[in-house]
Amino acid sequence: MTRRGGASAGPRRAPYVFLLPGLALFALFFALPIGYAVFLSFRRVEVEGLGLGSGAREEVWAGLANYTAALGDSELLAGALRVLGYGAIVVPAMLGAALLFALMLDADRRGRRETWLRGFSRLAIFLPYAVPGVIAALLWGFLYLPDVSPFHHALGAAGLPEPDLLDGGPLYVALANIAVWGGTGFNMIVIYTSLRAVPTEVYEAARLDGCSQWQIALRIKIPMVVPSLVLTFFFSLIATLQVFSEPTTLKPLTNSVPTTWSPLMKVYQDAFVKGDIHSAAATAVVIAAVTLVLSFGFLKAANSRTKQQGATR
Amino acid sequence: MQSTPLRRLAAASLAAALSAAALTGCGSSGDSGSGPAELTYWAWAPGMDKVAELWNKENPDIQVTVKKQASGDDLVTKILTAAKAGEAPDLVQAEYQALPTLVSGDVLADISDEVKDAGKAFPAGVWQQVTLGSDAVYALPQDSGPMMFYYREDLFEQYGLEVPGTWQEFADTARELKKQAPDKALTTFSSNDSGLFAGLAQQAGAKWWTTSGEQWKVGIDDAATRKVADFWGGLVEEGAIDNQPMYTPAWNKAMNTGEQLAWVSAVWAPGTLTTAAPDTKGKWAMAPLPQWDASKERTGSWGGSTTGVSRDCDHPEAAAEFATWLNTDPEALAALVKEGGIYPAATAAQTGGALAEPPAFFANQPDFYTEAAEIAKTTAPAAWGPNVNVAYGTFKDEFGKAAKSKKAEAFATALESMHRATVADLTKQGFGVAG
Amino acid sequence: MSATVAPGPRDTRYPPGARAGSPVSRPAGARRRPGRLVPTAVLLLGAVYCLLPVAWVLVAATKSGRELFSTFTFLPGSGFADNLTDLSAYRDGVYWRWMANSAFYSGLGALLSTAVSALSGYTLAVHRFRGREAVFNVLLAGVLMPPVILAVPQYLLMAEAGLADSYLSVLLPSILSPYGVYLARIYAAAAVPADLVEASRMDGAGEWRIFRAIALPMMLPGLVTVFLFQFVAVWNNFLLPYIMLGDDEKFPVTLGLYTLLQQGSNTPALYTLVITGALLAIVPLIALFLLIQRFWSLDLLSGAVKS
Repeated sequence: MTRRGGASAGPRRAPYVFLLPGLALFALFFALPIGYAVFLSFRRVEVEGLGLGSGAREEVWAGLANYTAALGDSELLAGALRVLGYGAIVVPAMLGAALLFALMLDADRRGRRETWLRGFSRLAIFLPYAVPGVIAALLWGFLYLPDVSPFHHALGAAGLPEPDLLDGGPLYVALANIAVWGGTGFNMIVIYTSLRAVPTEVYEAARLDGCSQWQIALRIKIPMVVPSLVLTFFFSLIATLQVFSEPTTLKPLTNSVPTTWSPLMKVYQDAFVKGDIHSAAATAVVIAAVTLVLSFGFLKAANSRTKQQGATR
Repeated sequence: MQSTPLRRLAAASLAAALSAAALTGCGSSGDSGSGPAELTYWAWAPGMDKVAELWNKENPDIQVTVKKQASGDDLVTKILTAAKAGEAPDLVQAEYQALPTLVSGDVLADISDEVKDAGKAFPAGVWQQVTLGSDAVYALPQDSGPMMFYYREDLFEQYGLEVPGTWQEFADTARELKKQAPDKALTTFSSNDSGLFAGLAQQAGAKWWTTSGEQWKVGIDDAATRKVADFWGGLVEEGAIDNQPMYTPAWNKAMNTGEQLAWVSAVWAPGTLTTAAPDTKGKWAMAPLPQWDASKERTGSWGGSTTGVSRDCDHPEAAAEFATWLNTDPEALAALVKEGGIYPAATAAQTGGALAEPPAFFANQPDFYTEAAEIAKTTAPAAWGPNVNVAYGTFKDEFGKAAKSKKAEAFATALESMHRATVADLTKQGFGVAG
Repeated sequence: MSATVAPGPRDTRYPPGARAGSPVSRPAGARRRPGRLVPTAVLLLGAVYCLLPVAWVLVAATKSGRELFSTFTFLPGSGFADNLTDLSAYRDGVYWRWMANSAFYSGLGALLSTAVSALSGYTLAVHRFRGREAVFNVLLAGVLMPPVILAVPQYLLMAEAGLADSYLSVLLPSILSPYGVYLARIYAAAAVPADLVEASRMDGAGEWRIFRAIALPMMLPGLVTVFLFQFVAVWNNFLLPYIMLGDDEKFPVTLGLYTLLQQGSNTPALYTLVITGALLAIVPLIALFLLIQRFWSLDLLSGAVKS
């Protein structure tokens, strides 16, 4: 249990020793590949003649050519705009639902054993997160495609109009729904675990002051889980900008989702279908840069806001 | 293989870190000393391991291990990446249209010396696809996919429809059916499988990639292909056929319930129909593809694959010997038909033997494979280039848009875009491109 | 890039008025009833929304290939036993090997990942040292590069290290998770009081001992969450093993199911096997979740503060 070697690390040296495993892994499996990807983004393959036979293919420096191509690509821009529209639905809906469910799970706890219904719901809401992508494709195919959808079946039977979920505006909702379905449980658990970290005594004090459940949730619980909310928002934002699996899931089912629907799909298309890792790397770097600005900008803003609030009180 | 300083440095530090942790990895390169030649084979055909077992029993000095893969466009990239790292398997299963890409990526070895006169076992049009029109041999043909017309015999009778002999008749049949049963369709134009469209263009006489000297010539937007695009665009625009993609749950249902009465497909269709439309067993029949010129029987091909030997292989002779056995030996081919349900490319294996009986799903058509062999003989030559993947990717997007718009002119525009994107990609990569 | 939100020492975290340590007493009973019904109702609604599609997998797994595309979506079929037999028979039971591989990758990967996350997160939350924010931000920035593009460089590096197509090639890159580190930092900040760490130091406890004996138990419920997330993430990871592995004996279950779907143009996808396989692949995750649920009911702070 007690390791003398580690114990000798003084408070000054200890943090660096403790961070060593994490940083070493980071260097090997993130930093190196990222560096290599960036390196690849400045290279390109130069072919000669027919390109057949060995030696006809050579990797050469490309300068900024891959970047100018990526930035000038109208399809990439269109994809980025689609993703913004999609994110505007997903992020609020998913985080809103996750926060709501987490608060409901935590409501009225006071040391009482939770009912099995809540335990069951918690599992049920988390479960979609465990469904692998290939299965999600099949599943939503069955639920969205008009000819096989039980919902269309029900709407038709009730004499209501049957919307085409795989086109136009509804397509965004259909895509967002897959993300919300798959991600709400995960975020709910993050927030819920945070809520559990708040000591019960805090609520009891508030209750004694005459606060209702609703007020406790709004005035105490939500401010307490702000770090978790920021965390979930931060990662949801990144996940949205890197959206890939939902549109890829629906793509084969409809004519309305091109292979470059989202910027990351274009990266995949370039790297894995066209076999052009260099263009793909450049596009990925651009996406990463935009993500960096947006997500860390958000973190910074959120940070200074919390600090300000702390100062004024 | 190309190894950059950065990668060396990176790899060195990775290797150092890992060996410091005293972990041993298993290198994949086989020993090239004494003992049997150990070959790895990436393949996706089902039952390939069983066929390899037959070989392993007879040939203790050449042992083949099958590593099953998922097929798909991305497998080509996976093989290219492995080859780049010097980790490519000894043998690979590759589709015909991927061969120029793999050759250009320096993955496949020229095995012309090893396979000697194996070419005689295959139809000329198929053999030309594995030589890329040169003196080299980059792979041995395994299976082929001559295209055919499948239709619901019972429903055709019910609606009084004739089996179309020409595309004109095909269009008339589609219209006639729509008139009688507006909620049914003869078939659909699917934008999610580029291979089907490529095969139809091939039948019409298109040559998408040709070479002249040291230059590639792209002919995607040629007259033959335009004819095909206009034809299907016209049918979609007037609503004579459906515009939804194939292989979706909805398509399966349409096939199973008879909402769609026909399917332009290839020789392997019975297998697909068995899973997609299990309730229709014995109700289908197969006929030659409708023709553009009734006096000149032609068909295209859709699907089919080859066995190639990689340049990373330490025992190319042994690998070529296995590949030759696998694709020409009667015992091997019979096993491939039985275990993998493939349609062999070797001429001798296309009739009799394992293919004497029709597929179980087509028990009502006893001469299924006799007829198939006749059709296979009329296969038009195929012409693939080094960036089929780019053309195919663009097809899905552009024709998806066109099918959605239901406008015939959109199909022509889509074809132009596909042509342009393909040429632009070749030029960008530095290939010699003619006019 | 010095942005942080993750709380430092916990002094400023409680909003005014919410002081810990007030005497506990029974609240007025009048408000209790609606307060109990509404949350449960809302949760059940969410559960139905989430379960409906999962129910589809369950129902579809009972259908034979014939029934899958012909009977009503939510009507159970009659082929579950056959599907199960077929799945077990496929390539001499390779499916169970995939399951075992997945359990190995996910179990060991998540365990190591949780350990690294705990240590890093704790250090970042509790220790004050030069470069703390920089380290944290750099670790976080790891999620910015899309995994799709990292897979190929990772493969090339692994190949040069002689590790391509090995168990390690999938296991090693799964260990570090920026998300896990971030979560662990938040939980450590919330659960490990700075004054307690300081007090232990005064008592002469070594840094490792403080982490191991004091902080770790307090962080446990949070770490259990990190473990769960990592387990699921590795279990469902597709692209990394797809690129790294050529040998289907080493495939995890997601990749195996993918090979069943993509059989090649002349062979139809084995839908019934895939769906049955997917259902079985969810079962261990449910079991894990149920096991882990127990830890959440522990109060994060109880136990530790008193000791």
